[in-house]
Amino acid sequence: MPIEFEVVPYLQWLPHALLNFGIAVAVLLALGTFFSWLAAAVRLGPSEAFYLIARIMLDALPDIFKTSPRRVWALTRLSVQESIRRRVLVVFLVFVAIMLFAGWYLDTGSDDPARLYISFVLNTTNYLMLLLAFVLSAFSLPTDIKNRTMYTITTKPVRAFEIVLGRYLGFAIVGTALIVGMGAVSYGFVTRGLAHTHQMDGKLAPIPSPFPNQPPLGERGTTTLDKHHRHEFTLNNEGLGRTDMQMGHFHEVTKNGDQIVIGPPQGMLEARVPLAGQLSFLDRAGRSAASGINVGNEWTYRSYIEGDTLQAAIWTFDGVTPEKFPDGLPVEMTIRVFRSYKGDIEQGIGGTLQLINPDPGARVRRSEKIFFTAQEFVVYQRLIPRKVKALDQYNKAIVDAQGNPVEVDIFEDLVSDGRVLLELKCADPAQYFGVAERDVYFHAADNSFAMNFIKGYFDLWLQMMIAIGFGTMFSTFLNGPVAMLASIACLVVGFVAQFIFDLAAGTLEGGGPIESTIRLVTQKNLSVDLELGQTPEAVIRGFDGGLMQAMRAFANLLPNYRWFDTVRYVAYGMDIERSAVMQHATLAAAYCVVVLIVGYFFLKTREIAA
Amino acid sequence: MEATAAPNLFADAPRKAGTTGDVVIETRNLSKTYRDFWGRQKVRALKSLDLEVRRGEIFGLLGPNGSGKSTTIKLILGLLFPTTGDALVFGKRASDVAKNELIGYLPEESYLYKFLNAEETLDFYGRLFNMSSAVRKQRVGELIHMMGLDWAKRRQLKEYSKGMTRRIGLAQALINDPDLIVLDEPTTGLDPLGSREMKDLILRLRDQGKTVLMCSHLLADVQDVCDRIAILHQGELKELGRVDSLLKLQNLTQIRAEGLSKECEDELKAVIERHHGKLVSMENPTTTLEELFLNIVADSDKRPGWRSPQNNP
Ligand SMILES: Nc1ncnc2c1ncn2[C@@H]1O[C@H](COP(=O)(O)OP(=O)(O)OP(=O)(O)O)[C@@H](O)[C@H]1O
Ligand SMILES: [Mg+2]
Repeated sequence: MPIEFEVVPYLQWLPHALLNFGIAVAVLLALGTFFSWLAAAVRLGPSEAFYLIARIMLDALPDIFKTSPRRVWALTRLSVQESIRRRVLVVFLVFVAIMLFAGWYLDTGSDDPARLYISFVLNTTNYLMLLLAFVLSAFSLPTDIKNRTMYTITTKPVRAFEIVLGRYLGFAIVGTALIVGMGAVSYGFVTRGLAHTHQMDGKLAPIPSPFPNQPPLGERGTTTLDKHHRHEFTLNNEGLGRTDMQMGHFHEVTKNGDQIVIGPPQGMLEARVPLAGQLSFLDRAGRSAASGINVGNEWTYRSYIEGDTLQAAIWTFDGVTPEKFPDGLPVEMTIRVFRSYKGDIEQGIGGTLQLINPDPGARVRRSEKIFFTAQEFVVYQRLIPRKVKALDQYNKAIVDAQGNPVEVDIFEDLVSDGRVLLELKCADPAQYFGVAERDVYFHAADNSFAMNFIKGYFDLWLQMMIAIGFGTMFSTFLNGPVAMLASIACLVVGFVAQFIFDLAAGTLEGGGPIESTIRLVTQKNLSVDLELGQTPEAVIRGFDGGLMQAMRAFANLLPNYRWFDTVRYVAYGMDIERSAVMQHATLAAAYCVVVLIVGYFFLKTREIAA
Repeated sequence: MEATAAPNLFADAPRKAGTTGDVVIETRNLSKTYRDFWGRQKVRALKSLDLEVRRGEIFGLLGPNGSGKSTTIKLILGLLFPTTGDALVFGKRASDVAKNELIGYLPEESYLYKFLNAEETLDFYGRLFNMSSAVRKQRVGELIHMMGLDWAKRRQLKEYSKGMTRRIGLAQALINDPDLIVLDEPTTGLDPLGSREMKDLILRLRDQGKTVLMCSHLLADVQDVCDRIAILHQGELKELGRVDSLLKLQNLTQIRAEGLSKECEDELKAVIERHHGKLVSMENPTTTLEELFLNIVADSDKRPGWRSPQNNP
């Protein structure tokens, strides 16, 4: 659930991205040149305007390459000093204050407190930093121009690019310092806030052996109630054991003489590395199908399989080796449940999992069915052990000479060339499971949570850097409040870009801007005809199509801040892939470069004293 | 110009000859119309100005409030873009940043960062000229000393008085030891002493071979220091020429001599009478720049758009 899309390896992604980037830049350049020429031509006439634009373009390259680090640094320092004077550090205090208060009200009996804590700190940091980035960057240059301090700067041998870059870097430094501070506070807040131990509650009770006259298997006990939960635990005869899972964690328990020592929580702050598979479907008759059923009113990304039919979702996993999974295959799933009738809401919907050998000629074809009960919104974890009972090609249990079922080793008998299939079925009739490719995976490894937390913060940092870039760019030609609004508008459009894409792709009802306006004004709902006649309607649709393409192109140019949103990865304890981080960094860098260069042109062609 | 420019910044040695010979600033048919956001005309602040400022002179722009002096200066510095015409500085277009290497500019008011102190301010502007830290340090020290602000160099500019800020503004304009110094109303906000010092400084700079373009409505200032002046009124050039020749009244001769005997004076009077002249007085003439200026303004109000024909440079 947390990871929705496959992350393409970086080097595979890069050429494609560079191509898109090239196209976008070319289009931007062409449009920018044309409209600047048009604007200049109104005043100067076409040929004068042409020379002017040509001159500005020719000046630009040497201007940008002659950038002097010392001048940039001077302006950077100035921005830092100015920011400090504008008391941005107060933001940090606000953040700390929020964390202190949050300590009280976040302390609820949530099912997954780690998720709550982590998404809280990351989101708080994100919103605060974006806001700060906009305020800092959007107001600074306009203030300089308004106070005319700009006069003494632009009459020095300073290039417009140096001004833009210096400003940008100054705010970047301030923002980076703040984000690092917030990250450190957040990390402490999360780890300290979740840390707890329990004491033993009551007495240990022996676990009797199932066989008569045998010594007990160990002891069991209960912990005290702390942080809204208590655990049950078992100890073996050596005095070692662990508690059950509660609220996403367990504790190790050791018996030391008469003393019971309960360790810190474990399994709460994780960075799980998934091994993802490729999803395919079988339809109700058991034939292969491109997708399951669409139950409507749901995001099409997820596909549904019906219970108690031959319909199934099958994942193909590659690279499944005993080295990676010495103890068996740890399956993790978050599947959606769709009930066609209510049934017993308390009781989950049953399902089965089965490993399938991809080799159709193999003796061992399938593992026996593994039953489970689906829980929604929780990561369901199940270890398929290395030794399982299995079925042959006739779906008969594999038995030894005596007719007793034997267990096979999954790596020897079910995995071939590192590939294995996992089949998911819904067991309850007329109920449905919704699945997407990324909903089921093998938990392949654990990376450091701290590192993952840093990666999450890195993505926030990238968002901030883009926000500062946009703020700086707008501030080169708009006044402060307007520049800030414009940057926020870009952010919002970036956020709703998906919606705009859908609109542009024509998947939403109601037609384009003109058609929907007509419908609004004439109060015609979506199902009635426009009744304007063939030709006008065609014209309207044509216009709408063009408009929506333009909107799509526009939305494509803006950064979709959701790309960088890896908060849920960290919160759900999923490792953020390195490839994803690198893609984000590249995207952010590309945006910043473009935005700063656009800012340069605006500032360069701006009449400072007008 | 990169850091290599630094060593010769303080040298009083003669400058390398500019590409355009002796003309430092040249404006051709320079006009400026301020427009509002919608592109509608608001003010025609400058109307086809042709000027030349030559190397080593102190050139004064003179005119009443709102006559377009600051506009001219801003056009020359590239802070404004001309509506028509061109402004060239050192043969380069005003929009060319490279020209700024050799320019020092003191704006109408000192637009400085109030949260910096004097040293930081000058250091900051030094960095903008890509000066190395050693050069900056020396130069900053010199200028603060020259402005007599040693005692306040660690204080933030927001605590400075108007005159003190003005001095730092001037120091800022001189940080790069410029060849061309552009001063917009250099003496406003200065006490009589400061104003005298400012004028002495301007003359000293000229003696070092620098070119100074200043504008002012304080006639005394202009009369004291300028070699040549241009008088603007309502955006039009009314008068242009050497101060001494402008003030020399063609039909008025002033005779000042010492140790003349009564006979000699009578003889002179006789000579004047013989040539049909009329002796006005034998004392100092009262004609000043102020009178000239007021005449021109009055004249121009009567006949707008007409440039007084008498004196040409
Ligand atoms: N940014 C501006 N927008 C619109 N009009 C302006 C602007 N700046 C100046 N003006 C107008 O242009 C004219 C010339 O102004 P300018 O500042 O050049 O005068 P000045 O000679 O420097 O006057 P002063 O002696 O008062 O400084 C004035 O009418 C003024 O109102
Ligand atoms: Mg002025």
